[in-house]
Amino acid sequence: MVSQLTMNERRWAMGILIALSLIGLTMLGAGRGDAFGVHGAIVAAAAIAMIFVVISGYFAPEPGEERLTRYYDDPSKAGIVISMVWAMLGLFVGDWVAWLLAYPNLTFDAPWSSLGRIRPVHTTSIIFGFGGNALIATSFHVLQRTTRARLPDQLSPWFVLLGYNLFCVIAVTGYLMGVTQSKEYAEAEWYADIWLVVVWVTYFAIYLRTLARRKEPHIYVANWYYMAFILAVAMLHIVNNLAVPISLGHAKSYSLFSGVQDAMTQWWYGHNAVAFFLTAGFLGMLYYYLPKRAGRPIFSYRLSIISFWGITFIYMWAGSHHLHYTALPQWVQTLGMTFSVMLLVPSWASAGNALMTLNGAWHKVRDDATLRFMMVAAIFYGLSTFEGSFMAIRPVNALSHYTDWTIGHVHAGAMGWVALITFGSIYAVVPWLWKREAMYSARLIELHFWLALSGTLIYVFAMWNSGITQGLMWRTYNESGTLAYSFVDSLVAMYPYYIARAIGGLLFFLGAIVGFYNIWMTIRTAPAEARASEPDAPALSGARVQPGE
Amino acid sequence: MFGYHYRLERNAIGLVLAIVVAASIGGFVEIAPLFTIDETVEDVPDMRVYTPLELAGRNIYIREGCYACHSQMIRTLRDEVERYGPYSLAVESKYDHPMLWGSKRTGPDLARVGGKYSDEWHVAHLINPRDVVPPSNMPAYAWLQRTPLEVKDLGLHLKALRQVGVPYTDDMIANAAADARNQAMPDDGGAGGLTQRYGEATQIRAFDGNPANVTELDALVAYLQILGRLTDAAYKPAAEGG
Amino acid sequence: MDIEHGHMVALAKSFGLFYLIALSIGVLIYTFWPSNKKRFERAARDIIQDEDTPWR
Repeated sequence: MVSQLTMNERRWAMGILIALSLIGLTMLGAGRGDAFGVHGAIVAAAAIAMIFVVISGYFAPEPGEERLTRYYDDPSKAGIVISMVWAMLGLFVGDWVAWLLAYPNLTFDAPWSSLGRIRPVHTTSIIFGFGGNALIATSFHVLQRTTRARLPDQLSPWFVLLGYNLFCVIAVTGYLMGVTQSKEYAEAEWYADIWLVVVWVTYFAIYLRTLARRKEPHIYVANWYYMAFILAVAMLHIVNNLAVPISLGHAKSYSLFSGVQDAMTQWWYGHNAVAFFLTAGFLGMLYYYLPKRAGRPIFSYRLSIISFWGITFIYMWAGSHHLHYTALPQWVQTLGMTFSVMLLVPSWASAGNALMTLNGAWHKVRDDATLRFMMVAAIFYGLSTFEGSFMAIRPVNALSHYTDWTIGHVHAGAMGWVALITFGSIYAVVPWLWKREAMYSARLIELHFWLALSGTLIYVFAMWNSGITQGLMWRTYNESGTLAYSFVDSLVAMYPYYIARAIGGLLFFLGAIVGFYNIWMTIRTAPAEARASEPDAPALSGARVQPGE
Repeated sequence: MFGYHYRLERNAIGLVLAIVVAASIGGFVEIAPLFTIDETVEDVPDMRVYTPLELAGRNIYIREGCYACHSQMIRTLRDEVERYGPYSLAVESKYDHPMLWGSKRTGPDLARVGGKYSDEWHVAHLINPRDVVPPSNMPAYAWLQRTPLEVKDLGLHLKALRQVGVPYTDDMIANAAADARNQAMPDDGGAGGLTQRYGEATQIRAFDGNPANVTELDALVAYLQILGRLTDAAYKPAAEGG
Repeated sequence: MDIEHGHMVALAKSFGLFYLIALSIGVLIYTFWPSNKKRFERAARDIIQDEDTPWR
């Protein structure tokens, strides 16, 4: 890793790490007796450990000019492995939480292991740890291939990847200590949020600098989606996390907004985190790896552009459908509902585009589980966007809101769409990055596919049933015109579904373990004369690009 | 050479700007008008702020992630009003930084749980929910009773809240730590200043049943017992939701 | 607050509508502009190539 950095970059790396360790030590000093200090210690320890890594390779020979004739894939490789590690953690904790809802005593009498604290560990590990690292890793890979240009330097991609994971670690360890803003999917406190902004700006700069040096005049549409992901997440993150810390030595802060404004801001964020983190970024993956794997160009490139702008524009209006029948002014609710229904058009255009691309390659889908992962992901994308638009309609939402139906919907999207497209893309890109003929075992991919699919279906059906049952029980009246069921009655009815859900989650987790093993074995297996197939390096032309420009 | 690169770069920047414009409008149009606050949030003169003890309880509620399973937002639907009480008004969460409306009811809504159960019930329920509600799947929070409440920083909390718009006075900030102790340790004497600052209706008692010390359980129960009772605007027939 | 809530709401709604229409027309024009056709087709086709080194 360090041997790939130029001497100048190694110096920069040392400078950044020394500064970071000083920041960590300052936090440690300022936050004694508070979680803030613990986080300072974590920052300092991480930075100092990295300093040793850099020192150990500091005097290795510099990489030669010939590196510029290759793409720079080391950060992508690391990102994919890290992403799978987060998947293990996130899925394990997720399933633990699921069992806790059926058997609340399956935990320790300790604050850190309480359901309320480990639930955000699950969501953050999956969304940001698993999803985010997969997005960063694949975006670097796709960006270079579609622009035919190498990443601008060797240091900043590592800064983005490792810095981002530092954010994830701070967030997750914070929840265990009770540090949370309580904003769903934005729970990390102010200092972690500031750090993420620094990382994100660097990420964006890498994108722009690579695009500026591209050899393809047209920017391939997958990059549009990745860019929308980067830009929109930056806007959402900054606005929703505006807060005043109680002091510069405490983790706790108070949101700038309150009540109804805070609710609207939070769900503008929350819904668009789904839109731009969990949809746009992964559509970027879909638009590259699916055509690539199928060996066929995307069915309609024009349709992909139209749906891109549709999604970018319309999603931002839809957040208020999370607040139907609340104290939010009704015109905002109506606006949110209208746009949510309109959203179905670009969403189905994308899903249809992906499936039509496979039309004529169905024999490949039958034989190749990797491609099947992507196909089923597109189907789930279509299903869950339909369901989402449906649930945003006010009367439907009256029934579905606050129930497990929402949880089922989210997991149809997260397991069926996001995780399956990610696994499919990872299975496509791992042999490519590590220069292997194929994955270690095609049969294990097949096994993973069926475990993931059955796990998702069990989970989603359990939650549909429990959600609708719950919603109906809450609003059922008996003949005398009073409510027929107490809240506890509805809870008792949930238990079978909660057990089924936990079993579905377990199957999904087992599938991911199989996947991780397969990826690991692919990496460990010796390359099959991969180097021999590498094409001759073209002569360096006038359009030379300096590293770190 | 320069011209070619310049054009490429301009395309990329154009794409960036187009994305930012397309993506930012929706949020702006929906959120900005809400800050013309007079019409979004009702004006209620009797609305009071959280006492330091209640605020500490609220922070424990946040810390333990209670909002993930309990909402604090009664919708304008008949069954919800009959089950939980009058629907929630915007004004009732005016001082909530952040709001805790929630999005899921694994357990019941808590917007009006204040005064619905006794302190003893809450204490028993938080220590082991299945002792009072046998089919409950709520986690047990037994350690709250064992953990002394951290009060020394409460002044900083009030100050930060004042910066974001909650009308805490200098007097309240200066006495925050003492007020928190006095609200849960009435035998200690000197609770008088507390009612002057936060109103006669302030509930002063040993919420966890033990007047000898102030625990996190005291704070959480004090918070639960004030939920829905910061103002009675929702009970007045004239009151209208947004 | 000088700006009245009612005005803000009216502005938000009417502006939003016109903006939506203008944006849709703009995107459709860009997508179906005849001279873009070749570029789009090339972009869609080019990623399928198995070449795996940067262009210099």
